[in-house]
Amino acid sequence: MTFLGDIAHVLATADLWRLTLEAAALLLLPALGGVISERSGVVNIAMEGMMLTGAFFSVVADLAWHNPWAAALVGIIAGGLMALIHAVVSIRFRADQIVSGIAINIFAAGLTVFLVNRLYGLADVGHVGQANLLPYINVPLLDQIPFLGRVLFQQNVVVYAALILLVVVHLVLFRTRLGLRIRAVGEHPQAADTAGINVYVIRYGAVITSGLLSGLAGAFLAIGISNTFVPNMTDGRGYIALAAMIFGKWTPFGAFVACLIFGLGQAIYDNNSIIHVSQYLLSMLPYVLTLVVLAGVVGRSIPPAADGIPYAPENE
Amino acid sequence: MGSRPGPRLPRALRRVAGGFAVPLGSVIFAFIVGALLVAITGGDPLQAYSGLLCGGLGIACANGENSALQISTTIVYFTPLIMAGVAVALPFRAGLFNIGAEGQFLAGAVACTFIGVKFSNLPAPILLPMVLLGGMVGGAIWAGIPGVLKATVGAHEVVTTIMLNYVAQWLIRYLIVGGPLQLPHGFSVSSPIGAGARLPSFLPNDNSLVIFGLPAGVYRVHTGLLIAIAALAVFAILLWRTSLGYEIRAVGQSQRAARYAGISVPRTIIVTMLISGAFAGLAGAIQIAGVDHNLTDKYFNDTTGFDAIAVALLGLGSAVGILLASILFGALHAGGAVMQQDAGISSSLVQVLQALILFSIAANFLRVLRARFPSFGRRPSAPAPEAPAAALMTEAAKAPPEESPP
Repeated sequence: MTFLGDIAHVLATADLWRLTLEAAALLLLPALGGVISERSGVVNIAMEGMMLTGAFFSVVADLAWHNPWAAALVGIIAGGLMALIHAVVSIRFRADQIVSGIAINIFAAGLTVFLVNRLYGLADVGHVGQANLLPYINVPLLDQIPFLGRVLFQQNVVVYAALILLVVVHLVLFRTRLGLRIRAVGEHPQAADTAGINVYVIRYGAVITSGLLSGLAGAFLAIGISNTFVPNMTDGRGYIALAAMIFGKWTPFGAFVACLIFGLGQAIYDNNSIIHVSQYLLSMLPYVLTLVVLAGVVGRSIPPAADGIPYAPENE
Repeated sequence: MGSRPGPRLPRALRRVAGGFAVPLGSVIFAFIVGALLVAITGGDPLQAYSGLLCGGLGIACANGENSALQISTTIVYFTPLIMAGVAVALPFRAGLFNIGAEGQFLAGAVACTFIGVKFSNLPAPILLPMVLLGGMVGGAIWAGIPGVLKATVGAHEVVTTIMLNYVAQWLIRYLIVGGPLQLPHGFSVSSPIGAGARLPSFLPNDNSLVIFGLPAGVYRVHTGLLIAIAALAVFAILLWRTSLGYEIRAVGQSQRAARYAGISVPRTIIVTMLISGAFAGLAGAIQIAGVDHNLTDKYFNDTTGFDAIAVALLGLGSAVGILLASILFGALHAGGAVMQQDAGISSSLVQVLQALILFSIAANFLRVLRARFPSFGRRPSAPAPEAPAAALMTEAAKAPPEESPP
């Protein structure tokens, strides 16, 4: 078959699109977290580390308790705690948020391997049994729709959750008073402060939320898609989520579109036995596309005005 | 405080002491928290740290490790760190945060390997300068892209350099796993560079010659160290003794003021990034030419460029600081292996320590503690001089969002 014929063949399979949505959901969660955090004015390049932490602790909990729901919760909280460090360091101590983000990522990579070694010795972490993974759920009736049923309604429970969260985050950010406050704090914290908004509370909340979402993504990766923890298993996904956030111009649905594009790349990568594009060149795609967007080829991508600037009240 | 006569120490010495306080405090903080972490998880911090000390500096070795060999390993580790540290510190001075030293390092390694393999038959006097220059050009291109994007459309260099780090990582995987640079019949490894492209070691590769109880060939310390020291000197001279250095510092302090002074801000940004990338690329080239002689899967997980961020911050962007911080992180990396072997503590503790140092130096815990407890660490009546370099580094790191998009 010809090269284009191969591509057409693969694109016509429902499984490719099912995998695309799954990969997109995995990226969407930390990307939503990034949107919330940066909309409140705190630069967050630490989704990678928060995901990794969530992945590790969800596996530890699942191996101990044999309960994926409790394990996922542990992963979510672990991600949130990592975010709390970022929040304290960059909000309370007004540290450079980029340095703090890098530190989180290095910290998570080191800490998880260190703890693997302390808890499990130098051997493998061990595998979570099939019964204790976050389940794939077929939505009754809807999953019988040809093609679309397979793509949309035979997904992991976390994929459904991610799609719901997408809508929730969009509505909260753009349709509620809380969302207005978050955006005000990210655009002009002095004005928001004058208007009686507690800048610190909003920023702490936003950063921690980004950690919770990233932690859920980590749990999804470790005890949903996979069934164990391996060092550095996030493999740059947190950074792809960051790229998706920028690609999507700091909006939830924009980020989702980017996640779908990057997810399609991932799905094609997984189908590489059929399409003989170098998988490694394909893996560059998210990063190159984001560079192209940043270069202004596809319209400007402008961050919130106060993004990255620690807030210090003038009377302090 | 300048009017207040110093108690005993001359003012210059006090300033040096003040400059050391923040980094030293950060390192101590990291080691204390690291020790707690080891103790909480049932390990022996003393044993862990003595392993680090032995592996890093060849001191207090419990299991008969050869001190000279350990020190040699540390030197091999910190040689590229010096140049990569410069690659982060120089843009700091211009108010740019180069997170892309890793990608630039890899680009330099790729360029060096490519030239060293393609022209492997050339003699050393021609080929060696070619591979080193090639590495510098590779790194400069990798850093030039963010520089141009920043100067022309205002794209934030932090994001663009992160993206380019990953592009470089995948490029290496592409090149050596079934790609054009792969060693025929090899896997995840490139062909070796020609003999003329290799940096000579200080000691001859002659196993009949025994030095410090081991054959001379096992010590891998190479002449790249001299290049690294020279690079450090170039950095210091460039920054403080040339008009370009003045322009870089001016742009870093205030783009608006620099513009009024007739300095072209976009040009300075681009030139700064090109030079910075050349330093990082040189580090990558030296790692290939001096140590590995080919690209391997080791480079997939390389962290030199990320360590360089810690080096530049901990070294407060000064040449001496970068040297000292490089030695520290080189020693930590070399020590991690011995710690894992002797004390059974994962070498990833080193990463944890590194992260803690970064947190501490970024948050400047010392400053905040002092603000809250004025008596913290000194007599209340004598406010210590702010470490000027530290203040500048933090200012620079904030990347003043002054350039308004047209």
